[in-house]
Amino acid sequence: MSFELRDHTADIAVAATGETLEGVFAAVADGLAAASVDDAPDDGARFSVSVSAESREALLFDYLDELIYLRDVRAELPVDHEVAAIEGPGRSDDKGDTWSLEASARGVPLAEIDAREVKAVTYSEMRLERIDDGWEAYVVFDV
Amino acid sequence: MSNPTFDADGITLEQVREYVWEVPQEGDMRTPARVLASEALLEEIADDKTLEQITNTTHLPGITNYAICMPDGHQGYGFPVGGVGALDAENGCISPGAVGYDINCGVRMMRTNLTYDDLRGREEELVDSLFANVPSGLGGGGIVEAGVDTVDEILERGVEWAVENGHGVEEDLLHCEDEGIRTEADASKISQKAKDRGKNQIGSLGSGNHFLEVQRVTDVFDDEVGDAYGLEEDQIVVLIHCGSRGLGHQTCNDYLRKIEQQHQGLLDQLPDKELAAAPAGSQLAEDYYKAMNAAINFAWVNRQLIMHRTRQVFERVFDRTWEEMEMELLYDVAHNIAKKETHEVGVGPEGRPVRDGEAVEREERELFVHRKGATRAFPAGHPEVPDAYRDVGQPVIIPGSMGAGNYVLRGGENSMDLTFGSTAHGAGRLMSRTQAKNEYWGGDVQQELEEQDQIYVKAQSGATVAEEAPGVYKDVDEVVRVSDALGIGDKVARTFPVCNIKG
Repeated sequence: MSFELRDHTADIAVAATGETLEGVFAAVADGLAAASVDDAPDDGARFSVSVSAESREALLFDYLDELIYLRDVRAELPVDHEVAAIEGPGRSDDKGDTWSLEASARGVPLAEIDAREVKAVTYSEMRLERIDDGWEAYVVFDV
Repeated sequence: MSNPTFDADGITLEQVREYVWEVPQEGDMRTPARVLASEALLEEIADDKTLEQITNTTHLPGITNYAICMPDGHQGYGFPVGGVGALDAENGCISPGAVGYDINCGVRMMRTNLTYDDLRGREEELVDSLFANVPSGLGGGGIVEAGVDTVDEILERGVEWAVENGHGVEEDLLHCEDEGIRTEADASKISQKAKDRGKNQIGSLGSGNHFLEVQRVTDVFDDEVGDAYGLEEDQIVVLIHCGSRGLGHQTCNDYLRKIEQQHQGLLDQLPDKELAAAPAGSQLAEDYYKAMNAAINFAWVNRQLIMHRTRQVFERVFDRTWEEMEMELLYDVAHNIAKKETHEVGVGPEGRPVRDGEAVEREERELFVHRKGATRAFPAGHPEVPDAYRDVGQPVIIPGSMGAGNYVLRGGENSMDLTFGSTAHGAGRLMSRTQAKNEYWGGDVQQELEEQDQIYVKAQSGATVAEEAPGVYKDVDEVVRVSDALGIGDKVARTFPVCNIKG
């Protein structure tokens, strides 16, 4: 899994790939962290994140939205993302119409870094698609 | 002879008159789109997806006359930055994405009676003290830390709350749009998540392009209006640029998601999901309008708290009371907002709004005027211009880049006809943030500004300074020249930075 920050006149876009859906979600989240700070120190404890939504794209949107929310209320920048499992229609443990994920991140205290404020995730030009050897995603963030 | 045209990658614009370009209506567009620009600005506007985005905006139901891109327009998400869209408040819709994430992001200017000479030699002391006392950056806290009750009160009472709690004086209300309170606000329409994000950020600049700047007035172009605004050459003023912080950002996304879940039919008609809109009259449209108004109040309080804190910093640095320094609010403008306003529009034989040549009569219509990266610019005599400025027109504050200076305009007499009473909001970005960081290094930019222009900059992060380097912005002089020539916002004065703090 990997990501790249792409040029966007006023904002920042993340293009990411992953061998699995979980992998591409985590790669976009790592892109969000990289858009916030160049280098994050190694400290901070891990915490878990759970999100559910009505579609695969909405799940990605809500996951990123939740990370930005948690950043503000915990006063920590979430980094080193891991997405353990995504469940949804057509996946191994199909539970009907709902998509959900279990993830975790390490929270670096904002007091220790000079991070840029990413204001929000956007739906603008958002893509989440299956490719030959996995998944790719493109997400624009408002900064 | 046919009108001159401009070919941008796949989109052809026709020149309707000087500085007015039109993308003709075709396909699913409900109206044409217009771009107000000189050819030089149009070249830059055509360089990213601005034209595609302003054209997409014409697909929104109830769009009246045109979707309009201001001279400083650039690519945003969904609706371009610098976009004005007037959507019918009865039969149209309201779009959170067309307001933007930072609800009531805006600028306010405060006058002083100090001159540049009073400040010289104390720039470093002042910039350090401002930086130490005005929260900025991510996680920098706010001037007040509030419980839930206080947040609700701020959301519903706006600047009145601030004045009552010692963060300002009654006179401040008289120089603010709507006297600093949107009465349609309803705090219960703002989610707990949004309130949780906002409660530690009340009175904070944030980061990115937001800043507080001490400036000197370098030119007054119109003595009569300059006099009415209390501006004269060499005078020191303060400009504050910020918005509704995490509370506004969360509110935008909360409603985008609700619209996606409840109005999928309308969403399917739109070319960009970020334009998601709630039909006028629906519960969600009403809820969003109340929530947005609450976030407007929150942003006004944010700027009010920062302004009042700035007065206290000046008191310490200059050892005089702020009243002695006549530190008074000149005006506060919003540049990410939708407002229900009454406009006169031309209607055709079927009673529906049509364009100039096709109208058989003119009627008053209630419209949700969306201004995203655009500023209201009501002309002299308009009843919604505060009494203090009714005779000369509403002040419009246009921040430029750190190197190019800023402008104060007044609402022009053509603004109601051409732009639903709007003009530009700034210089407009030219270069992406990632590119800026490759081209500039924060330390160099800071040193150059200090040595060449005597501008003292202090930021939480060097990267922010690089991303906001003067070279990343369009030519603000050209933007203002076009606004002035079109008569939508007339030049009154120009200011130049002395001290700048940012996140």
